[in-house]
Amino acid sequence: MKLLSSLRSLKPYRTYSSFASIIEKQNRLFTGELERQRNDIGRIEKIEVSYEGRPENKTIIMNKFLSSPYDATRHIAEWLSQQGALAQVDDTYIWDMHRPLEGSCRLKILTVTDPDPHHVNKAFWKSCSFFLGAVISQSFADNVQVTLHSFPSPQITSGSFLYDARLSLADWQPTPNELRVLSAEMVKLANRALPLERLAVSADFAKIIFENNEFKSQQIPDIAGNSADGKITLYRVGNHIDISKGPLIGDTSFLGRCSITAVHKIESEDGPLFRFQGVALPKGLMMNHFAYRILEERASKPFGFQKLQLMIRNVPGDDSEIVIRKVARSLRKIRS
Amino acid sequence: MNQADVSKLVSRLRVRVAAKPRRLSNPQGPEGRMNKLRATVSGIIKYERVELNSNLADEARGYTERLISEAIRYGDSDPNMMEMADYWLEEKQLVHKLFKVLVPRFENSSLSYTKIYRCPGIIRPDFPSLVIELRGNPFPPLVKDLSTNRNLLHNVLLDAAKKEFRKQQYEIIAKGSAGQARETDRNISEESTKPVGDSSDSTDAESPEKVTPQSEKNT
Repeated sequence: MKLLSSLRSLKPYRTYSSFASIIEKQNRLFTGELERQRNDIGRIEKIEVSYEGRPENKTIIMNKFLSSPYDATRHIAEWLSQQGALAQVDDTYIWDMHRPLEGSCRLKILTVTDPDPHHVNKAFWKSCSFFLGAVISQSFADNVQVTLHSFPSPQITSGSFLYDARLSLADWQPTPNELRVLSAEMVKLANRALPLERLAVSADFAKIIFENNEFKSQQIPDIAGNSADGKITLYRVGNHIDISKGPLIGDTSFLGRCSITAVHKIESEDGPLFRFQGVALPKGLMMNHFAYRILEERASKPFGFQKLQLMIRNVPGDDSEIVIRKVARSLRKIRS
Repeated sequence: MNQADVSKLVSRLRVRVAAKPRRLSNPQGPEGRMNKLRATVSGIIKYERVELNSNLADEARGYTERLISEAIRYGDSDPNMMEMADYWLEEKQLVHKLFKVLVPRFENSSLSYTKIYRCPGIIRPDFPSLVIELRGNPFPPLVKDLSTNRNLLHNVLLDAAKKEFRKQQYEIIAKGSAGQARETDRNISEESTKPVGDSSDSTDAESPEKVTPQSEKNT
């Protein structure tokens, strides 16, 4: 109950604290880098973007490294710019709606109600984890120290999206009301319809941005090593900045019904963490409360629970305790 | 008590019909109204999808529904029915279409025969017009299919939940039957080539659908 009362006094930002100054510094750096990259473009070249799809095929002249698919949709139809969650460039690359185009191309806009919205679903699930990170970092009261860890790649069939974070709380079991507060924060974020800004930066710059987050600064060299050009992709929603490979959906208004269903304490290589789990539907997809309740109940089970059970059953012998620990360790490795 | 039961005289429609008929003002008076409605009903039966202003579409919908439901009820051998079809349908071939195409199409349907969509008007977008169509028409659908498309996110989630639930159920069944089978195995012979419990376990992990017949055999 003590926690609930602290959650009740939620503020959008924790002003007058070190948290606020960190956020402000991160944003100042991010904005500066964004502007620097814009200024580096120099002379603006024109590109030819040929849009394919409803309401009609159209060729638009746009600015290289400046215009995004979202800008293109605004030349075509208002409903398209509202419904477009992702773009597909030259039928191959999945492109964020707010990522500048890099040359003449063919463009398709993907929505959540396409006949096969596989890429949009994945991006939506990933974005939900991203938003959850924003909510976790801003929802707790000043006396709780929050350090975001990471979120695994999206697995929609697991039934829940996740975010791992370290809290300065020993044993916290969230009450239903506390979970409701977190869900409400997600909905508030969706109502603000904030665009997701994308920025590719060098590993050194990313380290400066995340110098206060020990987990992220540890992960940065790894992520930079795995990416093709050695760059780190950052996203910003509102004033929350996080690392994600992307692509993510256009803005937060795509988030429709959403609930944070459970918080489980897990053991990881970086010490004990809290794993936040939730389930969400994109705006425009309706579901009755009974069916949604089934999804919520499934999303509140610990992630990887099914997988663990399946693997345990295939291992001979009766030392299930040891097996559980082994499998858990291997799962953690897979995810990290 | 000699009054007839009204609900048995008139076929019950699956759309809501306004208590009072719309007047649909016409220079030729009530006769002109009926002519207008006849032309509309004929058009709906002929083209299967038409766009109209909202008043006329809603009024003509009731008449169309009534005509089709009567045709299903009485068939083409009833002289009164034929007279009515002849009145409402302005072209002879539409009468054939009504009895030979639409009656078989809707005979076993549990839904209304027509469907209505609101759409922005062409001349005045703020003044909506209606699209009225017969169900089962050959045209491409007007709205996206949000309920039966299994690729949409909510259906992906529901399918995964369903699969997990089924797996749990099969596990319970397999466990029960495997336990029983092991007991009978021990009792009858010790030289059985395959331990039943193991085989049912392995099939369970791969394809839960195959487990039931086997487990039934075991029990």
